[in-house]
Order: sequence, then structure tokens, then C-alpha cells
Amino acid sequence: MKSMSLSGRMIVASLALAVIVAGVFVVMIRAVAAVDEARTREAHSKDVTAATVGVEKLVGDLETGLRGLVLSGNERFLQPGERARKQLPGRLDELERLVSDDPSQRVRAQNLRSEVNAYINDYWKRLVQIARGDHPEAAGTPVALNEGKGRTDMIRGDFAQLLRAEDARAAASAESANTRSDRAVVLGIMGLIGCALLIILFGLYLARSTAEPVRAVATAASRVAAGDLSARLPEHGPGEVGELTVAFNRMAAELERNQLELEAQNEQLRDSERRKSELVRIVSHELRTPLASILGFTSLLLNREIPAGERRRYLEIIEVEGRRLSSLLSDFLDAERLEDGHLPLSRELIDMGRIVSDQARLFEGQSEDHRLDVKVDRMPLPVNGDPDRLAQVVGNLLSNAIKYSPEGGAIQVVAEQENGYVKVSVRDEGVGIAANLHDRVFAKFFRGDASESGIPGTGLGLTIARSVVEAHGGRMSFESDKGEGSVFWLELPVATS
Amino acid sequence: MRRLFMLGFLTVCISAPFAYGWASSAGTGPATIRITSREVSRMRMPVGAPGRIGDTEIVRQNVFNKRIKPAPIGQAEYLCTFLTSRMRSCNVTITLPQGRIVAGGTFGYLELYELAVLGGTRLYDNARGTLTVIQTTTKPRRQILVFRLTG
Repeated sequence: MKSMSLSGRMIVASLALAVIVAGVFVVMIRAVAAVDEARTREAHSKDVTAATVGVEKLVGDLETGLRGLVLSGNERFLQPGERARKQLPGRLDELERLVSDDPSQRVRAQNLRSEVNAYINDYWKRLVQIARGDHPEAAGTPVALNEGKGRTDMIRGDFAQLLRAEDARAAASAESANTRSDRAVVLGIMGLIGCALLIILFGLYLARSTAEPVRAVATAASRVAAGDLSARLPEHGPGEVGELTVAFNRMAAELERNQLELEAQNEQLRDSERRKSELVRIVSHELRTPLASILGFTSLLLNREIPAGERRRYLEIIEVEGRRLSSLLSDFLDAERLEDGHLPLSRELIDMGRIVSDQARLFEGQSEDHRLDVKVDRMPLPVNGDPDRLAQVVGNLLSNAIKYSPEGGAIQVVAEQENGYVKVSVRDEGVGIAANLHDRVFAKFFRGDASESGIPGTGLGLTIARSVVEAHGGRMSFESDKGEGSVFWLELPVATS
Repeated sequence: MRRLFMLGFLTVCISAPFAYGWASSAGTGPATIRITSREVSRMRMPVGAPGRIGDTEIVRQNVFNKRIKPAPIGQAEYLCTFLTSRMRSCNVTITLPQGRIVAGGTFGYLELYELAVLGGTRLYDNARGTLTVIQTTTKPRRQILVFRLTG
């Protein structure tokens, strides 16, 4: 029963009800049939009684007619008897036919027929003969009359016996019908009470197993509709109710998951918006500075007479700032390509040690406060990759090391090969990165406290650098503590050929 | 052989009462026996007295039970003495296969009369009751004999 579905239980309960109702109807029908049978039996008994009384009357007519003839000698008195004698065989046949369904009554009817026939043949006809003969007074002797009386008394006794038996039979049938009828009424009432109880129990069961769970589902659905997606239902209940609760919980879980996804997407959108704002801010800030320099020095050159030496210095500044603008635009373009996943890379066998040495040489003269210690483990350090992009990566690391070491200091650059990888690390003694910012260091436009510290940059360099390294099948990471400097390193697979 | 013997015994037991004409033993309780008779001879011996008083009449009859078989099953012998010109006192002995029944009494009409069963022999030993005789034909004289035995 525990595993049966709700519809199965309803079917079983309906079947039980149907069986009880059918049982009650069967009992009722049987009772009605019994009453009908008793009524038929009663009507039949009446027919038998009527037939018996009819035969008895004919016998009486026989006797009366004979007595009239004997006492008066007048043939006219015999006429009823003669008619009765002619009718009797048919009436006796009818009586026997009526009682043919009851063996004991049939025997009685046969005995009656024998008695009547004996009376007619052995006595009635003889006495009529005597009355019409030479000594009619012989028919009126006590012997003759007593003989007739004895015979008719015997026949009447047979009639009485037959009628009593028929009455008893009808009474027994009526009693049986009454008993059955009473029993049927009792059983019918019990059946109806049973049906009513079963219906009540079934209703209670439905209320408990269906209405309550449905109400719980409705309540939980209301909570969900109100925004409480954590609403859940205990997953139990018969069949379909259990399935309903499971489905509801699955739906609520799915809604909750979708909402979390939406919230995450919203968060991403917000983050994207925020980064866009950051980009606008950075772009406007980073572009304004060189543009201001370019515009300022260009204005000076156009509006004033500048000595030749001074003019050259202005033009160099304009060139540097123009290159800076170009670099910025390249970074933005690379960031856009990274966003789209279309950063173009060329592939060729290159010496990573040479790239590191060349980049270190370029940055050596940029700051008087910094000292670059370059250590290349061995030459060559073969890597299969894009030389310009990898040079950009190394340059970015060196640039960051210089920018984020405003106090100056040593910058150690190491290029080495170990475990099938070419590893390049750049260690500075700069401001370092607080631990709580580590997970966002490679995020686009993230610059930590750099903006507040007045350190220039777009926050795209490390993002582009790591993407380039990963595009070469390598990886990039760092170690840092605030105020303790940083070490950024990258690993690239050694080229096999 | 044994089966044949049993079958014969049962046949005799079942048919015997009918062969004896509704024979229900007078010694075993009340019974009614109905048989018929046909007069074979009638002999009258007059004594010459006026009104035939004192004449003796001897009547012989064959007794039948036609329901069993058409042939006679016994005889009845009447020995009557006339008491008046009509009344006679008769002693009747009916011989049946299983014994005799003796009846006697007076009556006035041959058409219908009643005699007392006085006794009997063998099966009808110590029989009591009434014999009612009803004449059915005169030429030949036939009668119905109804014995109503009380015990």
C-alpha cells in the first residue's frame, strides 16, 4: 500500500465501494426475488386451494345428488352429481398438475384421485344402479348410507390434509420470504452504513493525503511567487503527491539556480559597466596626459620663436608622448582582441634568453634609480612562439617592476630552463601587492592602489601578458607582499626542435 | 447365483402384498383390502316352510384382484339361512393365498350389505373389522368386497 500511487489507491477504494454496493444490491435483489417467489408461491397456493375446494365441491355435489336420488327416487336430484362426475377427471388432472412441483402434495393428490375414483366406481355408480334397480330401498339402508358417509369422510380428510399442507407450504414460503426480506433490510442498512463509513474514511484520507499536501504546495508556491526561492517541501506522500512535491522542489531549485545565474550575470554586467567606466576614466586620463603634452609643445612651437636646441627637445617630447599614445592604443586594441579571442600570434623558434637580454638592455637606461641584474642561465633558451609578443610580455614585467618601485632599487631578472620549461622571473623591491588584491592582479583595468599613488598605467599590461603566455601553452603568476616587493614569473614550454 | 437368489427373494417380498389383495396383515394393524368376486354357483335348499324361512343357500364365488392378475386368487363360500323372506344370516369364508378370512352377519339385500369380520387364519389370524359387499352386476353376479380391518 505504501508504494501504491494515489490513483491506484482511489481505484482500490472505489472498487471496495463498488463491491459493497454491489453486495448490498445482490442481497436486495435476492430479497426482492424471494418476496416475489413467495408471492408467486402464495398465488400458486391459492390456485391449489381453489382447485382443491372446487374438487371438494364436486364431491359434495356427487354425494348430495346421490342422496337426493336415494331419498326421493327423483332422477332430477341426481343431475348435479352427474355433472360433477363428468367434471371431476379434468378437475383432478388440474389439481395434480398444480401440485406437481411438490412430491408430497402430488402423492396426496394421487391418493385423493384414487379415493374419489373408488368412491365413484365402487360406491356412487353402484348405489345409483341399486336406486334404479329392483330394490331401490336397499340404497337407503343405513349400511349403504354409512358406507357413503365413510368414504366421503375419508375423501374430505384427504382434502383437509392437502389444504393444510398447502397452507403450511405457503406459510413457510412467506416466512422464508419475510426472513430474507428482514435479513436483506438489515444487511442493506449495514451495507449503507459501511458505504457511508468508507466514504467518510475515504474523504478523510483524500483530505489528508491530497488536500493537505496540495495546500502545502500552494503555500510553498506562494512563497516562491513572493520571491522566497528557498521554499522546499518534504518529499514524501503517496504516489502522485510525492511526485508533485519532488517536481515542485526541482522547479524551485531550478528557479533558484536561474536566479543565482541571473544575479551572477547581473553582477558581471555591473562589473562590465564598472570596468567600462574605469576604461573611460583611464583612457581619458591616460590619453589626456600625452595629448596635453603634445598639444602644449606643438602650440609653443607654432606660436613662439624657440631656439633650435630647445625646439629639438620639444619635438623629442612630442615624439615620446606620441609613441606613448600609440602604445596605449595598442594595449587597448590587444585588450579588445583578447576580449574577442582573436589575438594573432606568429610561431617560430626563438631564444627566450636573447629576448630577455634585449628587453633588459632597453630598460636599463630608463631609470637612474633602478639597477637591473640580468642573469640568463644559458643560451639559447629555445621557445616556439611569437617573438614580438613575448618581448612585449617581458617588457611589461620590467616596466611594472620599475613603475612600482618608485624608490628605486635592484631589479633581478632571471631566465633559466628547468623541468622542460623556460622560466623568466622579474623581482623588484617595490611597493608590493596586498594579499587581498592578489586574485584581481590579472584582471582587466585593475590597478590596485596605483591610481591613488600617481603611478601611470591602464591596468591592461598584466592581463595581456598572461593571455599571451597562456596562448603559448605556458603560465604566469607572481608572489608579493605589501611593502616587500614582488616577483612575477612566467613559464613557457621548451621548444623540442 | 447368490445375486439371483437375492433378486428372487426381493421380488417375492415386494409382490406378495399385492398378490394377496392389498394385504396388510390384520395382525399388524388397520388395513383396507379391496377385491372382487364372481359368482360360480348358487344352490338353494328349500325346507318347505312358508316364506322360505329356514331355507339354506350355498354360494360359491371366485375371488379376484384384477390389479395384480386376471386369474382368481381365491374363493369365497357363503352359507346362508333365510330368516324371513328377505333377511338371511350368512357365514362367509374367503380363502386367500395367505389365509382365510371369516365373516358373518345378517342382511336383507344382496345389492349392498355389511358383515362383521370374525377372524381368520394364518396372515389374517385374529382379524377384526367390517366386510362391505357391493353388487355390481347380476348376470353374472359380481361383487366388490371391501375389508376394513381394525387389527
